[in-house]
Amino acid sequence: MFKKVLIANRGEIALRVIRACKELGIKTVAVHSEADAGSFHVKAADERICIGPPEAALSYRNIPNVLSAAEITGADAIHPGYGFLSENAHFAEVCESIGIKFIGPTSENIALMGDKAKAREIVARKGLPVTPGSPGELKSEQEALDAATKIGYPVIIKASAGGGGRGMRVVNKADDLARAFQAAQAEAKSTFGHDGVYLERYFLEPRHIEVQIIADHRGHVIHLGERDCSIQRRHQKLVEETPSPAVDEKLRKEIGRVAVEAVKAVHYRNVGTVEFLLDKDHNFFFMEVNTRIQVEHPITEMVTGVDLIKEQIKLANGQVLSIKQQDIRLNGHSLECRINAEDPEKFTPSPGLITKYNAPGGFGVRVDSAMESNAMVVPHYDSMIAKVITHGRDRQEAIARMRRALDEFVIEGIKTTIPLHKRILNDPDFQKGHVSTTFLDRFLAG
Amino acid sequence: MSKGKSRKQRTNKPPIILPQGFADTAGGKGSPSLLGNQSKHVQELIDILKRNNLTELELEREGVRIRVRYEQGIKTVTTTVADVGPGTVTSASQAIPAGSTPVEDTSGMVTIASPIVGTFYRSPSPDADPYVEEGDYVKKGQVLCIVEAMKLMNEIESEVDGRVTKILAESTKPVEYGQALFLIDPKATP
Repeated sequence: MFKKVLIANRGEIALRVIRACKELGIKTVAVHSEADAGSFHVKAADERICIGPPEAALSYRNIPNVLSAAEITGADAIHPGYGFLSENAHFAEVCESIGIKFIGPTSENIALMGDKAKAREIVARKGLPVTPGSPGELKSEQEALDAATKIGYPVIIKASAGGGGRGMRVVNKADDLARAFQAAQAEAKSTFGHDGVYLERYFLEPRHIEVQIIADHRGHVIHLGERDCSIQRRHQKLVEETPSPAVDEKLRKEIGRVAVEAVKAVHYRNVGTVEFLLDKDHNFFFMEVNTRIQVEHPITEMVTGVDLIKEQIKLANGQVLSIKQQDIRLNGHSLECRINAEDPEKFTPSPGLITKYNAPGGFGVRVDSAMESNAMVVPHYDSMIAKVITHGRDRQEAIARMRRALDEFVIEGIKTTIPLHKRILNDPDFQKGHVSTTFLDRFLAG
Repeated sequence: MSKGKSRKQRTNKPPIILPQGFADTAGGKGSPSLLGNQSKHVQELIDILKRNNLTELELEREGVRIRVRYEQGIKTVTTTVADVGPGTVTSASQAIPAGSTPVEDTSGMVTIASPIVGTFYRSPSPDADPYVEEGDYVKKGQVLCIVEAMKLMNEIESEVDGRVTKILAESTKPVEYGQALFLIDPKATP
């Protein structure tokens, strides 16, 4: 087993990885920017190395400094968390070439799945259902027009090098296509450095359903059920749950089978997530593969009992999957609320000093956070400061526990989105499980 | 642009910094006077420098050598790491200015901090003398030490003229970004 793991990340996910390492008897190295010098995750690690100024590009995404920190501490593996370098194929490749294990998929997996247009193509060629769309990248406006006519409006133009819900444009009619196509290309170039775009049918009220998969180096792949992440604002997830209220056992088996086939087609290794859209008639379509551990992984852990971070570490260490598909059961129901340091109505960022912090507890409540009293929420990074996760025997109990937990949660000194989550939980449509990706926009509009 | 030899240079020798009005005046005694059109070459060099984010550029033509160095108020360090792979880099060296803007503490000392993560060495090689000792007077741009990262030897230069009053890091030990390496008294004279 690895002797020492360096965590190339910060905040709650860094703490999550440190916890898994401690339980496995592995020493930990926390690398941090100057802004995070006093952070809880740094205090929790065995060793600490400052790798740069607050700007992420000069610190958490600074490959030479991260690798140098691994070298001087003698770390034998690096866990990249999510975001930052986690889906940087070049970083994974450099780790491989210098003999430091990258805890995640191979650099080829990342490069291939990072090209969203190509990933669709590969999955479609396997006869698996993909969202009706352009076969690959669109080479011209004319190609875009032809594809859109064939698929039928409305369509959505997406960046191939994109992901995380950014760089997308909806087009309702043919007249708007040319302008949207050019704008999408320009945006893709400036945001992701590559102007390639592709086209898909735009579903009006889809559900975002994603499947957690685990694969070992011998090609054994299992799935751990689906997560429903339909509650999003500007394509950023706010609330996730498992199982999905819209998915029955038969559909679960089918989506799970397709997810496993999709990752097998690309010889995927380690932990990953396959994203689908589910339309009103319960037809599902492959969208993309996320080649990393995801923010919402805890809800899958709560219903399956599988520690996904430990699985990542064990698989990276060369172990084979010890879990069989028939061992996977989804027990009960789990919910997650992402708490952001933002105004709950205007969504303006609210960095600053947390003067008082008291996380909720009790049966069925889990909080993943690196915050504490007198911690500073700095403006340089993502605004998420805590994840509240609940588990119950059924959906009603999970919701009741979440409501109770959010009532108990004390965070003073900054604004948070806790009031927004409470409103969502009280919404009748949410309580009935009638949500789609348009839910939050309608909810916020009034 | 002339067909003279021009190349990007990263060197630890103190560069010649052209004062603002130099191009407009005649050259010093013993050197060919700077003609009006050569001041145009100087401006072209400066433009090339800025456009390509270089720090130094040298042009040699008709017996005249002009070197231009661009100084920014806030130092941003761009370190290029040579392709890392087993055995591909044995010893490469580059000079980079100390990372953070030199910090003056309350006692008037300037702290030279490490701009990268790596291993600190006081001498260029194990059997060579250290670059500097406590008490030495150093000039701006002078190499003080090496921080080695991934087999790349990075020469750390002094940001100021002054006397080395304290060496804060230990040779062969790891250092992190922003770690204090030297204290220099900028008010000291040689």
